[in-house]
Amino acid sequence: MAVFFATYGSLIVAMLLAAMLALSLYLPLLAGQLSLASPGFYALGGYVAAIISTRVVPFDSGAQAYIWRMGTHEVARFSGPLYPVSLLIVEMLVAGVLSAVLAIVLGLPALRLRGIYLLLATIAFVQILQVVTQVLDLTGGAIGIFNIPQPFASQLGYAWVVVPLLLLSAGFVYRLERIRIGRAFTAIREDELAAAAMGINLAYHKVLAFTMGAVLAGIVGVISAHSINTWNSRQGTFDAGITYLAFVLIGGSRTFLGPIIGGIVLYALPEVLRGLAAIPGLPLALAQLLKDGRLIMYGLLLVLGTIFFPQGLIRPNLFRHRTVEATPRKIEQQ
Amino acid sequence: MTAQAAAEQAAQVGPARSVVLQAERLTRRFGGLLAVNSVSFDVEEGEIFGLIGPNGAGKTTLFNMITGLQRLSSGSVRYRGSEISKLRPDQIARRGIARTFQNIRLFGNLSALENVMIAQHVHLRSGVLGGVLGLPLSRREEQHAPERACELLDLVGLLGRAYQEARTLPYGDQRRLEIARALALEPTLLLLDEPAAGMNPNEKHDLSTFIRGLHDRFKLTVLLIEHHVPLVLGLCDRIAVLNFGQLIALGAPEQVRQDPAVIDAYLGAE
Ligand SMILES: Nc1ncnc2c1ncn2[C@@H]1O[C@H](COP(=O)(O)OP(=O)(O)OP(=O)(O)O)[C@@H](O)[C@H]1O
Ligand SMILES: [Mg+2]
Repeated sequence: MAVFFATYGSLIVAMLLAAMLALSLYLPLLAGQLSLASPGFYALGGYVAAIISTRVVPFDSGAQAYIWRMGTHEVARFSGPLYPVSLLIVEMLVAGVLSAVLAIVLGLPALRLRGIYLLLATIAFVQILQVVTQVLDLTGGAIGIFNIPQPFASQLGYAWVVVPLLLLSAGFVYRLERIRIGRAFTAIREDELAAAAMGINLAYHKVLAFTMGAVLAGIVGVISAHSINTWNSRQGTFDAGITYLAFVLIGGSRTFLGPIIGGIVLYALPEVLRGLAAIPGLPLALAQLLKDGRLIMYGLLLVLGTIFFPQGLIRPNLFRHRTVEATPRKIEQQ
Repeated sequence: MTAQAAAEQAAQVGPARSVVLQAERLTRRFGGLLAVNSVSFDVEEGEIFGLIGPNGAGKTTLFNMITGLQRLSSGSVRYRGSEISKLRPDQIARRGIARTFQNIRLFGNLSALENVMIAQHVHLRSGVLGGVLGLPLSRREEQHAPERACELLDLVGLLGRAYQEARTLPYGDQRRLEIARALALEPTLLLLDEPAAGMNPNEKHDLSTFIRGLHDRFKLTVLLIEHHVPLVLGLCDRIAVLNFGQLIALGAPEQVRQDPAVIDAYLGAE
């Protein structure tokens, strides 16, 4: 068991992070806004962590050594002083605030756009951010930032932060779907014009939903940067956005459980398939596909999923009258 | 009779009540088409004001301009003395103007109850944090809001279908749900765009009684678009007639019915 967790620690943590990234894309979608900006804020959060932990805080990450213990499995561990978790939390707060500010600045003009135009604008944002971080000295230029210190001795240690964060964000979205603001989001998704005619301020709620997603993505970026140990402009690119979208659409875009289950299951899938590829006697081409065809697979799943499960795997019929918590007396009496 | 003369005549006949809505030279162009052409009229507090006219006369466009869903090409709309034509739809709704849609626009995938509760938005105050954490104010609101929504559903006879998805409701129920949703805004001015469309004469008569009941009970001012002439004549205090975007008559039902221009443009066709 210990070996299992040590081996799959990073996979487990990454699965939970994927679930949160899917949630970050689901939040604007809750208000009907299809945005692929999440990877941008994820990248931003990663840089916040990288910069603070390697350049601002006097912490000698060089003292942390990477140890490989070779047995039946490869086990990675860190030795040396650990980066304080309190600073990790500070980084998460900074990333959250910065993401929120950027999301508001960006969202106010961008969310006037609809459908495909909003999608393109958010993709452009991700691309621009990528180019900018490639040339800035602050972000380490094209090479990026190395030796981001480890707050935990093993990958599984990240679960101490990731699990509470996932529970917190899941609880947040669960509650959100059942209150006034969430109903306003849903109304906008259903029919923008009718929502406005019923007194719902479209710009405010769209920007709010967009910002919530951005904050979550930024915070996840912080954790990822530490866990990956290095951060550069190849993190949080456009194709990552497509992957998150696949998580949401296949998992289900009508209840918060959809993106969470989608993120966890779909992130694990390629790893499982990679395991399958190792089965001896498989044709080379198939083994290759199983090993490296992650994006092809997501694409295929998206197509099949939209045909056979247009609402995703987790559907809200399972959770009837989901936006209203109290059962009115009048109905109980009937 | 010109629009000007019609307006003057109506002003002389009408009782001295305060003006709620004032449309002044409302104009809306779609490319070369003048959908609404310099239409002026006043709606008085507590009256049921009918708007009739042939297909494409510009009635719905007029509603859209009043509720801020379509910009004015020129003219002005005053509500209780203040200009509202530059406001957003949600700001106008917040001031107490609610509407239904000719081509039903319910939140189709949501339950009837949710549809009504969404329109309570402006009367609830809890924000993100209060709501997510379930703080006392928000908790109280979230308990109370469904109760109120159910009263409205009961009023339109849909309590039994509270949890049914709106798009699966029969057509007539959808129209009534739209009215319940509009009422959840607690409006003072209610705009109904062909609420009786697709109903048989019996249902139309019931609806007419129902609208009068709402008007009395909630002290509403009602602006009503309707094609069915007997219903309009029976229900409305005053009637405006649009034709090709222009106001061709305005006055009490008796006057309008005998107006040659109206008979020519509209009633004659019945
Ligand atoms: N968004 C739009 N773009 C272009 N033309 C429009 C638009 N909306 C309405 N029109 C045109 O404006 C005119 C008035 O339309 P409107 O819907 O207001 O008529 P109406 O009186 O409500 O008719 P009906 O009784 O059929 O509902 C019509 O000729 C219509 O084609
Ligand atoms: Mg119309």
